[in-house]
Amino acid sequence: MDELVIILVRGVGVGAVFSLVAMSFNVVCNSSGILNFAQGNLLVMGGLCAYLLLPGDPEPIHWLVSLPLSALLVAAFLALQGWITLLPLRSSVEQHSWLITTMAVSVMIGAVILVWQGPFALNVRSPFPNFPLFGTRTPMSYLLAVACAVFWYVVLRWFHSRTQTGLAMSALSQDLDAARAAGIQVRRLQILSFAISGLIVGSSGFVAAPVIKISADSGISYVLNGFIAAVVGGLGNNLGALIGGPLVGVAAMFAAFRFGGQLQNAFSLALLIAVLMLRPQGLFGRMAARRV
Amino acid sequence: MGAVAVAALAIGGPGAEAQTGTPVKVGAMLPITGAGPIGEAAQVGVELAVKEINAAGGIGGRQIQLFMADYQTDATIGVGEAKRLVHQEKVELMVGPTYSQVTLAVLPLLIEAKIPSVNVSGTEKLTPEVAPYSFSMLANAEAQAKKMVNYAQVGLKAKSAAVISDAGAQAKTAVEAIKAELAARNMKLTGVQDFQYGAKDMTPQLLDLKRGNPDAVLLFTSNGDDTGNVLKTLGELGWDVKVSGSYGVALSAPALKIAGKDAFRNTTGLNYNGFSFCQGQPISDRFKDFVTKVRAHKPAAADRLPLNYLSLWYDAVYILKWAVEGTGGKTDGPTVAAFIEQNAGKFNGINSGLAANKQTHFLIGPDALAVVHPDKLGEGGIQQRTGC
Repeated sequence: MDELVIILVRGVGVGAVFSLVAMSFNVVCNSSGILNFAQGNLLVMGGLCAYLLLPGDPEPIHWLVSLPLSALLVAAFLALQGWITLLPLRSSVEQHSWLITTMAVSVMIGAVILVWQGPFALNVRSPFPNFPLFGTRTPMSYLLAVACAVFWYVVLRWFHSRTQTGLAMSALSQDLDAARAAGIQVRRLQILSFAISGLIVGSSGFVAAPVIKISADSGISYVLNGFIAAVVGGLGNNLGALIGGPLVGVAAMFAAFRFGGQLQNAFSLALLIAVLMLRPQGLFGRMAARRV
Repeated sequence: MGAVAVAALAIGGPGAEAQTGTPVKVGAMLPITGAGPIGEAAQVGVELAVKEINAAGGIGGRQIQLFMADYQTDATIGVGEAKRLVHQEKVELMVGPTYSQVTLAVLPLLIEAKIPSVNVSGTEKLTPEVAPYSFSMLANAEAQAKKMVNYAQVGLKAKSAAVISDAGAQAKTAVEAIKAELAARNMKLTGVQDFQYGAKDMTPQLLDLKRGNPDAVLLFTSNGDDTGNVLKTLGELGWDVKVSGSYGVALSAPALKIAGKDAFRNTTGLNYNGFSFCQGQPISDRFKDFVTKVRAHKPAAADRLPLNYLSLWYDAVYILKWAVEGTGGKTDGPTVAAFIEQNAGKFNGINSGLAANKQTHFLIGPDALAVVHPDKLGEGGIQQRTGC
């Protein structure tokens, strides 16, 4: 029983990172229809910021100062990426060039990390002590990742329901042409959504840096699991992302415990297939109306 | 440095002008870009050996002309560079590559051109049938497995053991060899687990193994990062079990950064004999000379490069020199390979006790490996042997 609780807690911690990537997916997807496949490497970029900004043995004050800086740096990068991605598109949904451009950005980030830092994983030390759990010590970064996921969920919910900009952004997800006709500055809001997704992955990569793999080749794993979390929860639904991430994380941890480490990813994909077969819109998604 | 940026060096020494005849063209396939200290160590090892050999008169009186190729850890670039070295530069001997997938990709070119080579790759696919003229300086999985199990039984008095490894091809071979060795020694296997390269949290795997209550854990990793993450998780779980580890476990610099020195309290790894020492006993003159030479050659880099890895490349050049001179100056693959197969045990390099034959071209056998405490470091990063 103790073992299962330990796996559950750590699985939720790992899954919270997937939730954050999924929310980041949702923010951009809702405003533009674009799935930014660079999100995995952008999360790694947040971790890289932690590696570069924090001293070898950091104090909490270093961490607190560097966290917003990391989020802003990645947000600025993502705003630029968004502008470039949206440049050839009128409203982002009638072409699919974004498939290539977002993947290209991901490949470029990986290549730069490889040439700059080499192929080996970078390690970041947490300024916070581990917390006890059934005789074991669990990294505080897992708890912080969960807190970060809940924080961004609450902020996004408030933003989309209580601010004029957020409401306008929600309008984009309903009907781009109608939003444009209503005078909403679509392109500006779409770039802003890229920047907000940058704030999310930049902060979550930084917070989870001690427990994620920061290397040139690790982004693919996070983008894949983040995408699975988004689809399992219901693409575009942040509550679904918040729940879907821990589901994927716990399932992967349990699969490793029960069937072996090699089956972790296979189990996550099996979960995705099962959800898509039983509930194609995801656990919290709504069926889209279709014109016939 | 890009893939096409090549150094064609004839590193001359005091005796260079006295030499006659055409130079021996030696190719060196190195992961200079993208592999961090490993690529740099490989380059320094090859350059130092070539510089010394040329200074001492070359190979059988012929100076070495060195052609370096940076394959950037990429098999596709590696094949392109190998084609250039073989067809354009017409090299006669080759050292490298070091990544198995690159080595397997370039081998057909070397075989076709009958070029003898010494690589630094560990895949079991490098059999004499697949690579008739190529030898490996990396400790192979089976040799490591035998040494690890032997230490668990004899050194740790373990009657049962669990196995955890990465999911790579070499580790798969090692796990099978470990299982066979445990069975041969009547030791109980309590569980087997694996993890993906670079996994940060091995909690589920270790909790699963802990249920079997083994006397020891056999840990096969290919790099220090994975070692550090396994040991860190062991510490977090409070599982105070003895660990007998592979060569990857002895790559302690990154592991110490991740897990800390205390995590190695119950952990041993494998290193090359020449890179181990006994407390209170003098360190071998051969090793001290080697460290001095590396420091003189690259003063700024010597202390941050893994010297055991560097020595593999250094010895690789010397093995080819020794074999060519042993065959009366012949550089064709069949002749050089036959000489190494028959005489590997007589090679007297930084790494000695080599053991290739017609059945295996892995030069590092169990006798060339020592069980070490990865956290107890001496001069130049060498590690203290167990039991002394």
